[in-house]
Amino acid sequence: MLHALLLAAEEGGAEEAASNPILPTMNELFWGAIAFGVMYFLLAYVLLPPVQRARNDRAATIQANKDAAESARAKAVSATAEVSDQLAGVRAETVTMLEQARAEAEAERQRLVSRADREVQAMKDLVESEIATEREEALATMRPQVADLAVGAASKMTGRQVDLAAVRPLVDRYLDNPN
Amino acid sequence: MIGLEYPPIENLVEWPNYFGGDSFWALNKIGLISLLAMAIPAAVFLFSKKELVPRGMQNMAESTVEFVENQVILPAIGRDGLRYLPLLLSLFLFVFIGNLFEVIPTFQMPANARMANPMLLALIVWVVFIAVGVKHHGLTYFKDIVWPPGVPVGLRWFVGLIELITVFFIRPFSLAVRLFANMLAGHILLVTFGVLCIAVFTAGLIIVLLPLTFGMLVALTAFEIFVSFLQAFVFALLTAVYIDSSLHPAH
Amino acid sequence: MSVLATIATQALELAQEPLTAADEKGIAGAAGAGMAYGLAAIGPGIGIGYLVGQAVQAMARQPESAGTVRTTMFLGIAFTEALALIGFVVFILLKFA
Repeated sequence: MLHALLLAAEEGGAEEAASNPILPTMNELFWGAIAFGVMYFLLAYVLLPPVQRARNDRAATIQANKDAAESARAKAVSATAEVSDQLAGVRAETVTMLEQARAEAEAERQRLVSRADREVQAMKDLVESEIATEREEALATMRPQVADLAVGAASKMTGRQVDLAAVRPLVDRYLDNPN
Repeated sequence: MIGLEYPPIENLVEWPNYFGGDSFWALNKIGLISLLAMAIPAAVFLFSKKELVPRGMQNMAESTVEFVENQVILPAIGRDGLRYLPLLLSLFLFVFIGNLFEVIPTFQMPANARMANPMLLALIVWVVFIAVGVKHHGLTYFKDIVWPPGVPVGLRWFVGLIELITVFFIRPFSLAVRLFANMLAGHILLVTFGVLCIAVFTAGLIIVLLPLTFGMLVALTAFEIFVSFLQAFVFALLTAVYIDSSLHPAH
Repeated sequence: MSVLATIATQALELAQEPLTAADEKGIAGAAGAGMAYGLAAIGPGIGIGYLVGQAVQAMARQPESAGTVRTTMFLGIAFTEALALIGFVVFILLKFA
């Protein structure tokens, strides 16, 4: 320990007188000046311009790509709008056509139904009139016989002669209105 | 007892010359580090490819340029300060790489822990900001400093005197001393803990104390990397602020 | 340290002799060096603490302006720290020069 301290003291004391740890020395200043000067001129005139050019080129490329993408997007948007316009037109047209077709079909149906109704009605009328005439005929043929039978039956039951002419309106009324 | 032998400060900061004897062109470690601090960034810039998508060295070079532009020039000066990009970039890189040799093994010495480089750079900055002021405002640059407009006449000479001393003497002095003292303090701090580690090791207190001292040494090394960067940044930023005060003096 | 070593060895070897003028300058320089750095560290310590605290508060209030605040904070730290560093240089001068 003491020996080391002695050594340190000798070394320190020997150099201490010559130099100050703060003041710059000439040779360090010289080499520092050379290094910094060379560095400044290299950077300013040789090394920095290509790097800056590369950065500017990149910025320009990115800007161009961005612009292209922007215009492509605008184009796509306008194309989409166009297509959707067309689509809307087609859809409206379809709707009107559908409406028209539906109306036509409805009219046709109405026409067919009314014709069928009319035919059915005509046939029904025909049949009813036939039935009525049949019935009339049957009644007309039946009426004298019924009168005769009624008069005969009445004569037998009463035992006296009933006048046919007097009974006839009664029988007619009954036959016309059976209830 | 730990035998703590702290080396004298001359052994920490003064280096023998490789050649040249006592002449002014004698090259020592500081000169070598200065040359490397010039050559390494120059090589990075030289060998970086100029491709559309940056990778590797190109990324390093371009992000350095971008850092100086976005963090130093644009906040301190504005767009018209981009003309001074080469100067500020070389100041930043020269100081940063010179500082970084503080933690690079086999060098372990920041070039800026000697007064030569900080003084040189501060003188260059001093000349540059005065030249910018004279170029943009002529002799009114000096007149506005010693006889500032917009100050009550009674106080004007006093403010002018303070401004004169601040601008022309304190600015370069504090610029140089800040960088120098920061790096010298960091260097001495690292040496202190290195010596402490060796003393603890030779004293046989390996398990008890060495983890603490060595951990501290590692942490301080990381801190000194941060300080290296910060001092380079502050140097470039202050240069930009001084140039700005010469460009737009009416504040 | 070398000055202290000188003092120590000389004190051991020449215990009976009175101190020379150089020794007294060395002792005064060492004591003054410690005082210089210790006193110079007080003000900037307080200053940097206050400065960074205010900057953190500003960043917390307006996170969008954190970049500007950080740059200005580093500038302020650089100015404040200069005082402590001048103290450190005085320390080196008193101790070693």
